[in-house]
Amino acid sequence: MIKGKKKKIKALVTKVGLDGHDRGAKVVASMLKEAGMEVIYLGMFQMPENIVKAALDEDVDVIGLSYLSGEHLIFTPLIVEEMKKNGLDNVLLVAGGTFPAEDIPTMEEMGIDKVFRAGSLSESFVEYIRDNVKE
Amino acid sequence: MTGKNNANEVNWDDYLKAYYEKPSSFKSWSGYDIKEIYTPEDSPDEKYEEKIADAGKYPFTRGIHANMFRGRLWTKREVVGIGSPADTHDRLQYLVEQGGSGLNTIADVTYEMGLDADHPWAVNEVGLTGVNITNIKDMQTLTRDIPLDKVSWSLITASTAASVTMAQYIAVAEDAGYEPAALRGSVQNDPIHFRYCGFRPASPLDLSIKLGSDVMEYCTRNLPKWYFTTVNMYDLREQGITAPQEVAFGFGIAMCYIDELIRRGLNIDEFAPRFTFYVSCHMDIFEEVAKIRAARRMWAKLMKEKYGAKDPRSMHFRFAVHTAGCSLIPQQPLNNIIRVAYEGLTAVLGGVQSLHCCSYDEPMCLPSEKAHLQALRTQQVLAYETGVTNVADPLGGSYYVESLTDKMEEEILKVMKRVEDVGGMEEAIRTEWLDHELESEAVERQKELDDGSKLVVGLNIFKEEQEKETPLGAQRVSSQSAKQQIEEVKELKRTRDMSQVRDAIKRIRDEAGEGKNTIPPMMEATRAFATTGEMLGTVRQVFGYSYDPMNIIESPFD
Repeated sequence: MIKGKKKKIKALVTKVGLDGHDRGAKVVASMLKEAGMEVIYLGMFQMPENIVKAALDEDVDVIGLSYLSGEHLIFTPLIVEEMKKNGLDNVLLVAGGTFPAEDIPTMEEMGIDKVFRAGSLSESFVEYIRDNVKE
Repeated sequence: MTGKNNANEVNWDDYLKAYYEKPSSFKSWSGYDIKEIYTPEDSPDEKYEEKIADAGKYPFTRGIHANMFRGRLWTKREVVGIGSPADTHDRLQYLVEQGGSGLNTIADVTYEMGLDADHPWAVNEVGLTGVNITNIKDMQTLTRDIPLDKVSWSLITASTAASVTMAQYIAVAEDAGYEPAALRGSVQNDPIHFRYCGFRPASPLDLSIKLGSDVMEYCTRNLPKWYFTTVNMYDLREQGITAPQEVAFGFGIAMCYIDELIRRGLNIDEFAPRFTFYVSCHMDIFEEVAKIRAARRMWAKLMKEKYGAKDPRSMHFRFAVHTAGCSLIPQQPLNNIIRVAYEGLTAVLGGVQSLHCCSYDEPMCLPSEKAHLQALRTQQVLAYETGVTNVADPLGGSYYVESLTDKMEEEILKVMKRVEDVGGMEEAIRTEWLDHELESEAVERQKELDDGSKLVVGLNIFKEEQEKETPLGAQRVSSQSAKQQIEEVKELKRTRDMSQVRDAIKRIRDEAGEGKNTIPPMMEATRAFATTGEMLGTVRQVFGYSYDPMNIIESPFD
């Protein structure tokens, strides 16, 4: 059986901290829905604890973080740590937004499975999630 | 021979396709069908005086000044905001040394939210996207050694915190010996639009109108050279809407403030000459110029016919342009320099008063010093090398541009009518009609990129592997600066005379409660070292909102 066909993929889309740029997060949430996923849109003003709690409560397959205010290196380790603490090892963690190229390997070392920069086409992140959701 | 090897790999069928290639779309950026050629039939000139007129003459379609750039070049005003007030001050001075002609500083997310630097939600993010001014000393640091009666300073605080920014700026200027009447510049002060930039908790609608109008009223009476609002249609456009929606929604928001100022007893000609707008210039050169020309004509008519303005200056649609940040991408980032150059050219062809050219690294990080300088140089090349400053409205009289200007006007009117049909702008905001408009357009924009109906080089055509490094280096924000600012605020809160602060806060509470203008008591409070969060929180409470927009801390004055 093809991965992702077994059940509807459940995705949580969220922003972290005070960053107000939510156009991208909302668009990504819409595109994931159109691709047949179930989407929990947590929206703005979330802290790592809320995000992980919501991911646990909703039993999601993937968390999508949206960063556009240079806060990615500050919050990523906090979220990854919170996920570990709560045993969310089987949840895929992706991030999108505006980052310098130099930070992408750093973010991946910190524990993000895949980083999508502004200017990504929907196909790229939809396919990545379908192919990589963990069992 | 390497040339031969490369030649063997070329796909000559693709080459042939490229040779015979035709454009794939004949629509404008906003989606309107464009004809093959425009002729006198598309733009009959018999109504020239009434509809178009020379620059400097009503309805100002061709520009608000008769001689446009011959009178004065546009202001080259690059936005600055990074780390601490001292860091921001340094970058500001650097750009002035390089020929920048307008100062322009932007609040960070924490300041826009009305949070002090030591607020639990602020501590991680101080200085990441601009500058936080928690107390009067921060404003003193930001303005140190700058002759405030000589410079023109644009203070970008958009939310309800703009009231605090104005109080801090005027207090610092007065204390340094400057007359408020001598101050020249602008404050963004458009809290209504800021709801749509994610700052809803800091911009409740009634408080936005109240505090926004307090700034406008105070400046009208005391700072005659100050532009007290920059209604920000640019930020709305960045949400993904079309050119006509940008103008229509911007006008709708502007009218919310105008109606309130009239309700307060001001005459339209007393304050309208100090209204300004922030406009986007996106990638479609002619549509954007037409949009600007239509906006100028429509604003003049609106002021004259709807509001009964008599002073021609009240009818001037004066605007700054911010080149479209959302048109820039991190893929093949040097191409952004070209995009910005076209957008800057568009702004100038449209008769701009003040210009911020995005730096090429906009979709990656705050501008590095090199990128900032390159953006300023883009403006200077435009101003000194291209000849665009010679003549007012160089595209005026083009069959195409005049026809497209009419089209923009027609489409803007349609959107304004839809806003009216839902009960006007305030109602459109309250019912979240406007939210839905913005969100559905943003999804449309993504689909256009996904299906290739809009082409962006490096994004959906001519893609290459991602660069590993930011070409001119990535800008970092000093975490040390933020820590120091946070420590200084804590120290200030420990050492200031609390009885003075209490008295000043009480005066804000009393006067806001009596419906008086909040700027004078805020000026007194900032001098007593009351902080941004304390002043704004107190006003919030008067209006029935939580002291802290994030609902974490309680008022120390209750």
